[in-house]
Amino acid sequence: MNLQTPSITNIELETKADQVARELGQLLLHTPEYQAILKALNAVNNNPAVQKISVEMRNHQNALRWSAENTGEHEATLTRLETELEMMPVVQDYHLAETAVCRMFAEVDAIISQAAGVPFATNAKRGGCSCGR
Amino acid sequence: MLTEELQNCARALGETLRASPSVQAYLQAQANCAADPEAAELENRLLALYQELLGRQQRGEALLRSEIDAFNALKSQVHQHPLIREHDTALGMVKQSFTEIADDLNFPLGMEFAALALASSV
Repeated sequence: MNLQTPSITNIELETKADQVARELGQLLLHTPEYQAILKALNAVNNNPAVQKISVEMRNHQNALRWSAENTGEHEATLTRLETELEMMPVVQDYHLAETAVCRMFAEVDAIISQAAGVPFATNAKRGGCSCGR
Repeated sequence: MLTEELQNCARALGETLRASPSVQAYLQAQANCAADPEAAELENRLLALYQELLGRQQRGEALLRSEIDAFNALKSQVHQHPLIREHDTALGMVKQSFTEIADDLNFPLGMEFAALALASSV
């Protein structure tokens, strides 16, 4: 019988990769950059002005989706609200925190990819580019 | 600046992935493709044609049906080459394995590591 069963080495490697990935996730979670993005996200989510604008934006998006009337007006209001939202200090703080996390993750990805010999994030991203390079 | 602990852990993950059968198979398939003049030439021709057509399209030029057909025929020829097929299959296995490993990495974070890592290079 020629059944292929995974060798102990393969199983050990997979388990080790899972463990190291979880450990890396924990280390990233406790970095100042990641704690800053969680704090910034919490501030955005709990900001009454952000919530008010978000509700208004959803209303206009729904109006655009379901109604054929006044589309230009809804689009113009949506653009104004988006700009208003982006100008809010709490949202700008979030974007700054996000940029720092992205930069840190890119550095970590470069180290993983170099050691693996294959780009990690490019191939680990769900629904990403299929070129693999 | 990444801490030494973080760098060591990232390196350990990369080294573990490199030792895995899926990455080993992919690296071998990639080397086989690169060493085969026919496969390399086919891939280079496809890439050059893709870039040429894309460039013309982005400049607002309408492509001829015959040009699109020629591109699709070459693409099909490339993907039928045994070494390129082997490479594509191996890459598929790597993607599956990396996506599963990334889930373990994403779990404590509650965000997708890969998407954020790639966002900074866009």
